[in-house]
Amino acid sequence: MSETKIPVTVLTGFLGAGKTTLLNHILSAGHGRKYAVLVNEFGELGVDGDLVVDADEEVFETNNGCICCTVRGDLIRILGSLLRRRNKFDGIIVETTGLADPAPVAQTFFVDDNLREKARLDAVVTVVDAFNVSRTLDESHEAVSQIAFADVIVLNKTDLLDEAALEAVEARLRGINASVKIHRACHGKIALENVLDRGGFDLARALETMPDFLENNEHTHEEGVTSMSFSVSEPLDEQRFQAWIGALLQERGADILRAKGILHFAGQKERFAFQAVHMMADGDYIGPARAEEGQESRIVFIGRDLNRPQLRRGFESCRA
Amino acid sequence: MSAVAGEMTELLATRGAEKVFGSAVTAASCARDGQTFALGTVDGDIVLVPVAGLKHPETWTRVEAHDGAVLCLAPDTGKEGFLTGGEDNRLCRIGPDGTVTELHKGRRWVECVASTPGHIAFSAGKQLEIRDSSGETTLKTLEHPSTVTGIVFDTKGKRVAASHYNGVSVWFVQARVDTVRPLEWKGSHTAIAIHPGGEAIVTAMQENDLHGWRLSDGHNMRMSGYPRRVSSLSFTRNGRWLATSGADAIVLWPFFGGGPMGKPPTELARLPGVFCSAVCAHPKSDIIAAGFEDGSVLLAETGSERVLPICLGKRGRVSTLCFSPFGGMMVFGTEDGCVAAIDLSASD
Repeated sequence: MSETKIPVTVLTGFLGAGKTTLLNHILSAGHGRKYAVLVNEFGELGVDGDLVVDADEEVFETNNGCICCTVRGDLIRILGSLLRRRNKFDGIIVETTGLADPAPVAQTFFVDDNLREKARLDAVVTVVDAFNVSRTLDESHEAVSQIAFADVIVLNKTDLLDEAALEAVEARLRGINASVKIHRACHGKIALENVLDRGGFDLARALETMPDFLENNEHTHEEGVTSMSFSVSEPLDEQRFQAWIGALLQERGADILRAKGILHFAGQKERFAFQAVHMMADGDYIGPARAEEGQESRIVFIGRDLNRPQLRRGFESCRA
Repeated sequence: MSAVAGEMTELLATRGAEKVFGSAVTAASCARDGQTFALGTVDGDIVLVPVAGLKHPETWTRVEAHDGAVLCLAPDTGKEGFLTGGEDNRLCRIGPDGTVTELHKGRRWVECVASTPGHIAFSAGKQLEIRDSSGETTLKTLEHPSTVTGIVFDTKGKRVAASHYNGVSVWFVQARVDTVRPLEWKGSHTAIAIHPGGEAIVTAMQENDLHGWRLSDGHNMRMSGYPRRVSSLSFTRNGRWLATSGADAIVLWPFFGGGPMGKPPTELARLPGVFCSAVCAHPKSDIIAAGFEDGSVLLAETGSERVLPICLGKRGRVSTLCFSPFGGMMVFGTEDGCVAAIDLSASD
């Protein structure tokens, strides 16, 4: 992954979960870095040295024949302009409104060539109110999407629950998104390195440490949104994988919210980090595996009505 | 040609001058009297190039106009000076001597500005504001369904058109009651041009396409096949051709003989593998100025294959080009912060 690309962190979370508190915490921490922050409405934000831009969440449907492909044109415009400055920002943070579906934000970074060239989607960070999350998930379609899309969850307001209740909440979150990294916090206080500039790090580690027993946990009540992960220990044939994933996302992309994988292709020394949002897919070589990691390839799908045997057969058929 | 490219003296060196300011150049314009050029940068500066000092960069001045990038630039309504919009949510007037006067400050970036001798149009977010020539009086504020991405007046200054999501809105500047003529096409329209004879409006789209509407009957025209997104489009003086960036050549669509529908575009000045990043049609002759992503700039004749190189590479992606009103002089700017000016009429 090119280090000259500016990392973009997408900050989502339901109304009142503590997004603004976390954002203020990030901006006021003495990290010596400079961020550009896109907010949907000016709040009490405003830290010297950082640039805060007021953006309207303007979503449009692209004409690329992909039915679920909506992107944020305001991000293309505003980030496109900010990225023309050289060496001005260490990172960009995009805050979304509480009710927003994270898909268009994520898809924007697949669609626009200029953004792909100059920036990389670092992580989707979802702030969750531990106290209210169960009710929110029962009531809201968008809340389920925000959990499903997250690379990192900041589980906020943990001081309001006991350990057993927190574990129950985490189990429910993992039932939707098995590969997410969960950090507990109070009042948005969290070590910044857990949230910003994660690179491929979270994905690789989350997939490595994701226990297989989660595959048996198919019982969810979040509108059928669940995670399924698969692994094969032999190297994959790159062409066969691309053909399979391409056809799969084309056919089932509306239901597959996210797909992520760390893959070993036959004949390649480096591992390939793959990610997809609905029908849009992308990937990058992220360096060789450590010796003890072997040649295992892992992939996780987060979506609705996933067909486990079909996905498993498909992934296994990509072996070289 | 006898010399090897590297040994050739560039026309820019003999007929013009250049200076590296370091901040990426975003826009260029020439005042109506043709006496001053202005270029805007991502760091909010306006570089003023007086025609009298065209070959003497020590006479070029830098003015701090905006906090954040200069997003748009147009000649002022009068003979001298310019109008600029920026990331600091301001619209400013820049005098030929570099004085900066704030005309508007709001809550959104001022992304587009256009002018005629009688009117100023600028946009901030979804609003397009029309002011009188003084810039002090707001005549009307026109609302659009999404953020305005481009503004053009027609040649007579009677109509103004704004591009946005899902099409273009055409308004009459002087209408007592504002009724929009919507030109609809689904998707994100990111730039706009109007045929000098008022026959068509064309937009660049997010998906490496152009879309056009014939104004007589609203007929849709699609112009596709670009390898890259089109960022720059310019009609030739008589409206016969529409020149665009977006390929490794200047792409020209014919607007005559029934075109562009069903007609293939013509390519000029192909530099294999090097993409054209900015175009500007000459105001008086059948010539297109084109800038490329490696910093090359050239002039190409529409009626022939003739190409005149101005400079070759090594200056960063050319982001903007602009002729003087009679076409005797030209400036361009690049993303590496190079500003260059050339006198095309001079004879040695």
